[in-house]
Amino acid sequence: MKRTLGALSLLFILGVLLIVAHPNYGLKFGLGGKDWQAYRYTDQYYIEHGVEEVGGTNIVTDIVFDYRGYDTIGEATVLFTAIAGAVALLRPWRREEE
Amino acid sequence: MNHRSVRSDMGLIVKTTARATIPLIGIFGAYIVSHGHLTPGGGFQGGATIAGAGVLFLIAFGLEEAKKRYDHHAYSALESLGGLVFLGIAMLGLSVAFFYNMLWRKGIAFAGKPGTLLSAGYLPIMNLAVGLKVFAGLISAMMAISMYRRWKE
Repeated sequence: MKRTLGALSLLFILGVLLIVAHPNYGLKFGLGGKDWQAYRYTDQYYIEHGVEEVGGTNIVTDIVFDYRGYDTIGEATVLFTAIAGAVALLRPWRREEE
Repeated sequence: MNHRSVRSDMGLIVKTTARATIPLIGIFGAYIVSHGHLTPGGGFQGGATIAGAGVLFLIAFGLEEAKKRYDHHAYSALESLGGLVFLGIAMLGLSVAFFYNMLWRKGIAFAGKPGTLLSAGYLPIMNLAVGLKVFAGLISAMMAISMYRRWKE
């Protein structure tokens, strides 16, 4: 009984999320009017303007290094921190004499 | 058997194959990095590919050979250099915005036709920097894991 209720509530939450995330009748974030879709769904803009604005024909690199540069900085920082932590933890920091 | 486990390198077949394939893997990784703004791939992927050549070297030739060719300070400096070049190139267009592609929009350098190798402004430089950083970082992590073991041999 409890498991059935849990599964049903999970299904209900999934359905609510699907409705909320639908572009036609879901929640609208940001500016009102007609251009909220242009501000939220930016993929068509990247495909059309990426080559002339950034110059690379690989649109993924255009997005990663120009439009979403802060994300790449965070990624590089995560990599740097992870490797610094690994080297600092695995270093022989105490001489075992035995 | 005991003597063998200390030396920790592979046999003749694996060594010969590794000797033949490590340069090819390195060239392929360098291609992925340098053509990151034209074809699928980029700094992260190419750097990981070149680091794969290092992993193959370590597995095939053993830890002793890899230790001779690994300098901890050099790889730390290379990784820091990659990160600093990345940040410095990002600050190049700071008069307009952080991560503003000044080289391409003003046509200063790397401003060829889209699709050629010398195009796309700072993207090739950033790809090189990130590739260097990822390569040095992964090699450092690999050598740290394999070198600094706690147990007795």
